[in-house]
Amino acid sequence: MSILKTPLSLVAIGCAFAPITVLAEDSSLTNPNISAVLDGYYQSGDRPMSERAEGFGLGETELAISANIDDMFYGKMTAVLASHDGETEVELEEAFIQTMGLPEGLSVRAGRFLSDVGYLNNQHLHTDSFADRPAAYRAFLGGHYFDDGLRVSIVAPTDIYWNLGFEAFKGDKMRAADEHGERDFSNIGVYSAFTKFGGDIGVDSSWQLGLAYLRNENGKLLGEEEDEHVDDEHDHGGHAHSAKYTGENTYIADFVYKWAPNGNYKYQHLTLSGEYFRVTDIFAMEEHDEHEHEAFSNNDYHQGWYVSSVYQFSPNWSAGLRYGQVDSYEAHGDHLDPQKLKETEFSVAWHHSHFSTVRLQYTNQQGTNFDGFENDNIITLQYVMTLGAHGAHQF
Amino acid sequence: MPINSKLIKIASVLALLCSTTAHAELNVFACEPEYAALAQSLAPDAKVYSATTAMQDPHLVQARPSLIAKMRQADLVVCAGADLEIGWLPMLQMKASNNKVRSTDTGLFYAAEHTKTLDQIDNVDRSMGDVHAKGNPHLHFDPVKLLEVAKGLSAKFIQLDPSNTAAYETAFARFNEQWQAKIPVWQAQAKSLQGKKVIAYHSSFRYLFQWTGIEQVADLEPKPGLAPTSSHLATLLARAEKGDIMAIIVASYQDERGAKWLGDRANLPVLTLPMSVGGNEQSTDLISLYDNVLVLLNGVQ
Repeated sequence: MSILKTPLSLVAIGCAFAPITVLAEDSSLTNPNISAVLDGYYQSGDRPMSERAEGFGLGETELAISANIDDMFYGKMTAVLASHDGETEVELEEAFIQTMGLPEGLSVRAGRFLSDVGYLNNQHLHTDSFADRPAAYRAFLGGHYFDDGLRVSIVAPTDIYWNLGFEAFKGDKMRAADEHGERDFSNIGVYSAFTKFGGDIGVDSSWQLGLAYLRNENGKLLGEEEDEHVDDEHDHGGHAHSAKYTGENTYIADFVYKWAPNGNYKYQHLTLSGEYFRVTDIFAMEEHDEHEHEAFSNNDYHQGWYVSSVYQFSPNWSAGLRYGQVDSYEAHGDHLDPQKLKETEFSVAWHHSHFSTVRLQYTNQQGTNFDGFENDNIITLQYVMTLGAHGAHQF
Repeated sequence: MPINSKLIKIASVLALLCSTTAHAELNVFACEPEYAALAQSLAPDAKVYSATTAMQDPHLVQARPSLIAKMRQADLVVCAGADLEIGWLPMLQMKASNNKVRSTDTGLFYAAEHTKTLDQIDNVDRSMGDVHAKGNPHLHFDPVKLLEVAKGLSAKFIQLDPSNTAAYETAFARFNEQWQAKIPVWQAQAKSLQGKKVIAYHSSFRYLFQWTGIEQVADLEPKPGLAPTSSHLATLLARAEKGDIMAIIVASYQDERGAKWLGDRANLPVLTLPMSVGGNEQSTDLISLYDNVLVLLNGVQ
């Protein structure tokens, strides 16, 4: 029953704040913004590692409250309600504070928040142009990686945008499979360092490049000789935000380029983006008896990438094309089996206003060796709508 | 004590650095070109950057990297306010991590807080479209209100940079004199426009129409922020056929297609007015912007 109580109390908190926003002179900066996101869909098949299942379903229903706490701190809480197999789960996706008053372009964020590695990861799912994150995100970051931790970042006082940041996280979601529950995991499992550069090209175009390194202390999978088969520990269809394929070191490179005629985004604009992931030091053999915990590593690595192009050709219509693939390994006892997944996707979206979107998406998926996977064509019909005082979007 | 002397050296270098930056020209980040022009008139030595051009809809601006970098370096941010920039300014403030420009007590200036905006609403409902509870933010087309804003902005410059008070006072006096001299000229030019009826796009020219006495009888947008639809244009055509409309008016950043469709069928002139400084070749500063808009409006009578 506690599962049911929690969302209700969240709604109650939201309602308690709501009258304040209506009366407030300045709801934007000094009083809470309350917003909700509604996401529902019908889908004709299953995509591997996706949270959306075949048939009718709900995506992440989101309730967010954010405000400047005082002149130093900003705070935000985002609760996500997801239903799976008739059960409603509530999850805190964000609950963080951020400094706003530090000098020299410094800021510190603490609590639970989305990691700033990669381009898409720090963006909310409802702003995406496709129903699901690219396969590389689903494989290596659990769709979107949020966790409990700390971030320090700095923006340089230069005309070219230059941002540098460091993060440390608990890292539970990024742990490698541990079949027997015997492994001694590090408490601070994930560290990251990232940098982003960006600027304009004339008045029409803007760009950003990003590089990130993510160290995962618990990411290396330890294989054991006596095992015949390491079970896929991630139950399919569950609301698992865990990364499916992990390694000790992850390298990410990303770019985004946006274009609008005269830089006017109201009527037409184009967004090109792409990211590359390489996950190394993924597997080691533990040889218990002969050589005490002598682990032998191999040089295999996971990798994944995508490129995406989305064009809004009128305020009411946009279309997107995305191709992505993942090359990963599944451990079977003492060896790794290669897997491959390729996704080609096309989406068309109708936006009645800035706050409502109805999307039709076609996915062609082809793969080898993914568990229970078949080549397929999938159609998704989805709506994403936002209510309330909705926060500003990122680039 | 070599260590101490080293420390003193470092401290003196730091002090020197700080004092030179304090005397350097102010970095001004303007959200819209009209406020960039105003800031430059009131602080001729300031380094002014405009985040948008007159060809860009200020409601829909990307919180893009170049803007974060500019805001990071700003001493003063000047915006229309009244939630016009609500979709991007808070994100820029968060990403830029510049504590100087976060509060209107210090380096943040909202024009709408220095005059009275029109059309304030007590209860906002999204079914009304994208409306602003704090009133219409496109207030730079009322010469009297803009002068009030100029007064407030000049005081802000003096607050941030008191050592140059005399220079800011001189600049304001000059602006005030030129502007006051222009107001009766513009009023004379606007006289013939009084009572004329127009169809326009959004409430972009609400203030211009208010002080010239032009009446906007219909809006190309079915609801604020929504693009013209064919069914809505059909009702506008029926309205236009009454024969009392002077022109269809769009701003320099708005799509002309709906207006042209209507203009062709109703046999009405379509007039694209510069929304701000830089909206056409003639509008190079605030005074020439007003001059040009009145010339264009008088040209379609």
